[in-house]
Amino acid sequence: MDRRQFLRRSSAGVAGLAMLAGCTGAGEGDNGSGANGSGTNGSGNGTTEAGADSTATTGSASSGGTLRVATYSSFTGEDTAGNWLKSAFETEQSGTTVEFLTPENGVNQYVQRAKQGAPIDADIYLGLNTAELVRARKKLDKPLFQSVGEDLDGADGLKKPLRIDPKKRAVPYDTGYISLVYNENEVEEPKTFDSLLESRYEGDLITENAQQSDPGRAFLLWSIIAKGEENYLDYWKQLVGNGVTVLSDWEPAYQAYSDGEAPMVVSYSTDQVYYHGPDVDMAKHQLGFLNDQGYANPETMALFESANNPQLGRTFMEFVLTETAQSKIAVKNVQFPAVKGVTPSKEFDKYAKEPPETVTHSYDELAGSVESWVEEWSRLVASE
Amino acid sequence: MNVRRWGERLAVPTAFVLTVAILAVVFYYPVLSVLREAVVRAGSLTAAPLVDVLGDPFYTGVAHHLFTAPLSIPAGVLDWIRAGFPSVEFGLFGFTAFQAFLSTLASVVVGLPGAYLLARFEFRGRRTLRSLTILPFVLPSIMVAVGFLAMFGQNGLLNDILGALGLGQVNLLFTLEIIVLAHAFYNAPLVTRLVTTAWESVDARRVETARALGAGPFRAFRDIVVPQLLPALLTAALLTFVFTFLSFPIVLALGGLRLATVEVWLYARVQDLELAEAATLGTIETVLSLALTYLYLRYEARQTTTGGGTTLPRRALAVGWKTLRDPVRIGLAVYGVGVLVLFVGPLVSMIVESVTGPNGLTGAYYEFLLNQQATTAAGTTKPLPAIANSLAFGVGTLALAVPMGIVVSVMVTRGGTGSRLAETLMSAPLAVSGVVVGLGLLQTLVFGTTIAGYRVTAGGALAIVVAHAVAAYPFVTRNVTPALAGIDSQLVDSARSLGASRFRTLLDVELPLVWTAVLAGGAFAFAISIGEFDTTVLLAEGVESYTMPVALERYIGNRSLGPSLGPATAMGTVLLLVTAASFLVIERLGGRWEP
Amino acid sequence: MSDAVPERDPTTTDAGVALDNITVEFSGVTALEDVSLSVDEGEFFTLVGPSGCGKTTTLRAVAGFEEPATGEVHIDGGRVTDLAPERRDVGVVFQHYALFPHMTVRENVAYGLRFRDPPGGVADDERVDELLSLVDMAGMGEREPEQLSGGQQQRIALARALAPGPDVLLLDEPLSALDARLRERLRVTIREIQQELGITTIYVTHDQSEALAISDRVAVVSGGRIEQVAPPETVYREPQSRFVAEFVGENNLFDGEVTATAPPRATVDGVEIALPESAAVDTGDSVALCVRPEVLSLGENDTASNATTLTATVEHREFLGDAYRVHCSWNGRSLLVKTDSREPPEGTVTLTVDTDDIHLLSDSGR
Repeated sequence: MDRRQFLRRSSAGVAGLAMLAGCTGAGEGDNGSGANGSGTNGSGNGTTEAGADSTATTGSASSGGTLRVATYSSFTGEDTAGNWLKSAFETEQSGTTVEFLTPENGVNQYVQRAKQGAPIDADIYLGLNTAELVRARKKLDKPLFQSVGEDLDGADGLKKPLRIDPKKRAVPYDTGYISLVYNENEVEEPKTFDSLLESRYEGDLITENAQQSDPGRAFLLWSIIAKGEENYLDYWKQLVGNGVTVLSDWEPAYQAYSDGEAPMVVSYSTDQVYYHGPDVDMAKHQLGFLNDQGYANPETMALFESANNPQLGRTFMEFVLTETAQSKIAVKNVQFPAVKGVTPSKEFDKYAKEPPETVTHSYDELAGSVESWVEEWSRLVASE
Repeated sequence: MNVRRWGERLAVPTAFVLTVAILAVVFYYPVLSVLREAVVRAGSLTAAPLVDVLGDPFYTGVAHHLFTAPLSIPAGVLDWIRAGFPSVEFGLFGFTAFQAFLSTLASVVVGLPGAYLLARFEFRGRRTLRSLTILPFVLPSIMVAVGFLAMFGQNGLLNDILGALGLGQVNLLFTLEIIVLAHAFYNAPLVTRLVTTAWESVDARRVETARALGAGPFRAFRDIVVPQLLPALLTAALLTFVFTFLSFPIVLALGGLRLATVEVWLYARVQDLELAEAATLGTIETVLSLALTYLYLRYEARQTTTGGGTTLPRRALAVGWKTLRDPVRIGLAVYGVGVLVLFVGPLVSMIVESVTGPNGLTGAYYEFLLNQQATTAAGTTKPLPAIANSLAFGVGTLALAVPMGIVVSVMVTRGGTGSRLAETLMSAPLAVSGVVVGLGLLQTLVFGTTIAGYRVTAGGALAIVVAHAVAAYPFVTRNVTPALAGIDSQLVDSARSLGASRFRTLLDVELPLVWTAVLAGGAFAFAISIGEFDTTVLLAEGVESYTMPVALERYIGNRSLGPSLGPATAMGTVLLLVTAASFLVIERLGGRWEP
Repeated sequence: MSDAVPERDPTTTDAGVALDNITVEFSGVTALEDVSLSVDEGEFFTLVGPSGCGKTTTLRAVAGFEEPATGEVHIDGGRVTDLAPERRDVGVVFQHYALFPHMTVRENVAYGLRFRDPPGGVADDERVDELLSLVDMAGMGEREPEQLSGGQQQRIALARALAPGPDVLLLDEPLSALDARLRERLRVTIREIQQELGITTIYVTHDQSEALAISDRVAVVSGGRIEQVAPPETVYREPQSRFVAEFVGENNLFDGEVTATAPPRATVDGVEIALPESAAVDTGDSVALCVRPEVLSLGENDTASNATTLTATVEHREFLGDAYRVHCSWNGRSLLVKTDSREPPEGTVTLTVDTDDIHLLSDSGR
């Protein structure tokens, strides 16, 4: 059984890879069609094999069927990581359908459903961050997500700082690094958190609301690492005094930055992936790694405790951690791969910058603290 | 015959019962399911959450002493007087009320001259302009924020113009001023629309009578016109205050966290799933805004408005070279410039953004829309279905909200004691935090409840239309109630004695006579539906029921053209154009049946 | 009507309209108190009284616009107390016409025909034309109400009320908003049409001369009660109460005490006045004597035995065209005299009244 599944997986894996080759190699006509052809053959073989052996049919039933993946809406749609994952995984696991659900309020939808005893209509949640995992656990008496254990294929290769969940519920699949983006025509690079308090940077920084924005919360958590739990409020008091602007979310903040409202914004270190080339004024897209750090904000996936088909879910998660999937997700989602040694693309490598030092909080460090940190911070900003 | 007669006799009561039932299912039950957390803890009644919030100086400032140590207040006041009246903080609630007050003031100041212009002057395009005054109402706040940023930002159009004129720079962004302006952008048109309608129904003969009795033009205006405009103006001011008190996305987008309002806080609490505190904030907000509504309705009931008669004649706006010597017309011209800056500026700026890329003029964002439309990938948000859905929901909302609003108006105008209280409760959809409503709908309709072993959930197009109608019908009621109350009761009696049932009288006599008000309310209902976002995404089953604002929101997150709001602004422009066209059609078509 | 259920409960009375012990209250204030009335079929019946007396409320109770707290309303012998206005088959005309401003004249008149069963079709058009001719407005069908004068509007309102062929026509101060001459013309028209159709009609007015001119019978209403119901002549000549005596026409009222019974006499302020032979009084009774201004003759010294002569002083004269109103003072009271003499005297005059022209109020206490 194990052996047969392994065979199936590897043969389909070949098909998946072949498909990928077809995609990447678009333009080289011959190669592409050849690769596609072999892909079809591969899955054909798989079916025949399964049909010949009744035990195998039972075994593969767990991998057939529908996998319901809850995620955020921009993960799906035309030319997104989500759609690539769907078609690649469906090709690899024939007879499987991946269905995306995009609840507007994200993982809260499922926490609230669990709390009220309403059915949970998804198998996997994709796009969970550490603080959300903390919240999901804290608000419920029973766990919402199940641990995938130690033996998830590909989990060994995850980058160390991204392994935020010791209980192995949340598995990172990509990460962003929060950094400053600044306009070097107008300001010098701020090197440290302390330098942001200098009067030459007065009114120059735009950040996001840690209550509802990922980069905003990451920046706050980063400042807590930099200044310590005892001093961060004091630091922020001074930062507010120096005229920091706290906007609702990344989009308005970046838009305000682009419109020249301020020369610095809290953003991602992948900024130049979007902005490069001869027409772009690169001075406006300089990255500032304060204290030579960047705060990792890994995006993770987790299997619901109530998943209909946990086995298929695990297969999907393993698929997400494969090298091909990792580089595809990285490119399409404009985030860094979570697995070590994956090179998404030349262009990505050239323009996506990793910080000299990665910092982040683990689940255990956030549990019990993150809510009060954010609340005290927001009260401070709102009453100043 | 008997069946028809019974049908007609039961029509209004049945419709009223249905309206109440709809409200109960998609409004009261969901909202109360959220708010109960403010007063129920572990199954028993408690005042603790309320006391916690009211006694927290962060929320209520110095007023928290009222709830924590009421006995210390006299001494505290004395200390304050001795200290020479230093400025006093009233916390988040105080700030929220303060900005709502300023916003209301600004909306009235900006909206009133518009009503004067539209009601008293004749000029080319007046009707079109009147139709378009509803546009700001439907714009998603994110688009308004984009437009305001591009218009009033450091490098915005306004500063470009001021710079070119040598007038220096203004820095408005992320200040209280810009929030107040943005609130005026949304609500001044409300003032203009409501007051214009009232002004048009002022009986010219009364003004003439006053003039004949020796009143000068100003006295006649003050004594005759103003009292008739006052109810409409106060309605608009009340609505503006309530809306801006509950404002949240615009505050977040333009003011940032430092200018946070209660609703911003409530939203953050919901995000953190601190539902008891959220419910408590929502309860306090609701009590405050409903109390205001009740006081207003009491006042309105004492006003006697009688419609009919001759409308005041409109004067020509342009009167040749004399135009330049008339102070009123010059004043209106200055006002026109202000309107250009405040209303046209942000809208045009948004449109300009939709054709401007990082490297100058571009059609990429519209191409993006076309590509979205052409693609076959699952889960893609396409513009045409978004337009079609928006219009379908809008029409559905119109079809449901107008009868609901009328039925409530009829019951309220007929009812005696307690009808003000009833109307207040029926107006609650205007006065309850949008975040609370959304949360309530999620917890009840979307999650469903178990009835006799079956899990009953509600969603899909019908649920969306019903929810939109619930949000929209109070606008119909607010427009229609005063108009219905103003109808000569002898007309109704005549129809009844001629054999018309109460229902037929309503259809044949009353509604035709208040058609303008019905139309005005209907336009708001349509606008509410078109601009609605939160409920739509909550109740949409699958990914197919998206509307224009939902599409816009999804395009914001779409990075296929880089992190750019371009696609969203292109969709915003489409939204703007489709809505503008719809309103021209609604008002033209509706105007045909105007008596 | 195809209704299986009878429209009205059969009752014993065969009156056109009957009110039995009707009481109407508005938020605790009694507007009508225990009013009973019976209007004969085809009769022109007028309710007259000062404003606020309850006459309009009475009319509205008949129409079904007011719900009586107690009592019953019957139309054509059937009980209608619980019927909605649209099921009572009444036509109502209001003071301010209440034409539907958004309908043409034709649509207004035709409105009540919509609710006939089965629908009249072409017959309805003819019916409208017929009614427009009846009120002398033929050819005006396509006008808008606001294009018409007040008199024309009221004619249309009348046509509209009559169009469905109601059992009862109710007119609520229909002429009050019109000028005097038009008022007189139109009241003749109304009376003629009523006679032609033979329709039971209740007419409400505050104008007593209108009431006298137009009605078969008049009910004088005051303070929510009916004071007197009688033909116009009786109401005028033999008022039953002080209120009726003073409200209907002008009257000189004297309070006196009966001093003799054969022949009956009374003293008023010490002056002996002969009473009509028919007066049923006892010595010592308090009585009120009504003397209409037109029965007092001025300056003539009538020596007939059944006349009383008073000496008075002329204070002031009013010329009315066809007559004079002469204000006199007698014994410190003012007296009103109406004379058609071309040149009434001034100064001290003699006033004579025929004993039979004096009317006694049966109960002087009222």
